Amino acid sequence: MKLLVPLFVLAACTAQAQLLKIPPSFDQLAAKADEVADVSLGPDMLGMAAAFLSDKNPDEKAAKQAVGGVKGIFVRTYKFAHEGMYSEADVELLRAQLRAPGWNCIVNVRSQKTGENTQVCFFAQKGQPGGMAIVTAKPKELAVVTIAGPIDAQHLGALEGQFGIPRIERDSKPKKQDKQDHPDE
Amino acid sequence: MNRPDRPERLEDDLRNALRRQQPPLGFEARLMARLAAEPQPPSVWARVWETASAWFQAPLFARAALAGALCLLVVCGVNYEHRQVQRVRGEAAKQQLLLALRVTGSSLREVQESLRQVSADYSNAQ
Repeated sequence: MKLLVPLFVLAACTAQAQLLKIPPSFDQLAAKADEVADVSLGPDMLGMAAAFLSDKNPDEKAAKQAVGGVKGIFVRTYKFAHEGMYSEADVELLRAQLRAPGWNCIVNVRSQKTGENTQVCFFAQKGQPGGMAIVTAKPKELAVVTIAGPIDAQHLGALEGQFGIPRIERDSKPKKQDKQDHPDE
Repeated sequence: MNRPDRPERLEDDLRNALRRQQPPLGFEARLMARLAAEPQPPSVWARVWETASAWFQAPLFARAALAGALCLLVVCGVNYEHRQVQRVRGEAAKQQLLLALRVTGSSLREVQESLRQVSADYSNAQ
């Protein structure tokens, strides 16, 4: 029984670190998908991974700085051979969680042309940043990224230009971008 | 050195030299008796027992030194094995982290592209 207690604590920590609860139906999607990527890095594994990141490699150095305050990274991606391999209800279970208190979706992209539907949401609790989530649903692709822990501009800035993360052009003049954040409005 | 005068002589000599001879009477019995009398090499267990006996008969400091060396060897071995396992796990975790960051980057890049497209369409409509 004494041995079970640390396991329960570890499971509770991991569950807490995982901001979004992946619906059980996603496990069945893996069987249908051509390509699946499933990454679950809790606090301990993240710490271990960070310890093995080199300071000499610019990519790894940026990653090390970015994951400094992060408690967990959870990624699920599915690539399908054909359209209609997943149902809208599967994704809706995730989106419903993003409408819960604490979540603030700053970007909603919905394209009729490409069928893409993406949300970028941030989680905050008592004014403190608690993480972020990106849910991307395309006709042949589904991706869910959850990063638990404080993510601020400085962390994201460290990853700018690395790992395909876009380099944000900073300008002194304010650009006409305010309406971009809510294109479907 | 005697060289045969004739080829026939050579043949006779060879035949005599290679002629089959019966062993002396009682040779086999004597041979078997001698083999039975000779001491057998000790078995593996006997050698292990001898080594163990020698260990207990050795001086205390020699036993302590050997025990210490053995302990050190075991500790070093376990430590090395642990480090190897940690290294493999760490490398795997690192690869997972880099993959996760690539997926995140790719998703953010796509969002940026979509926003850029929407912005361009909006500007054109104006």
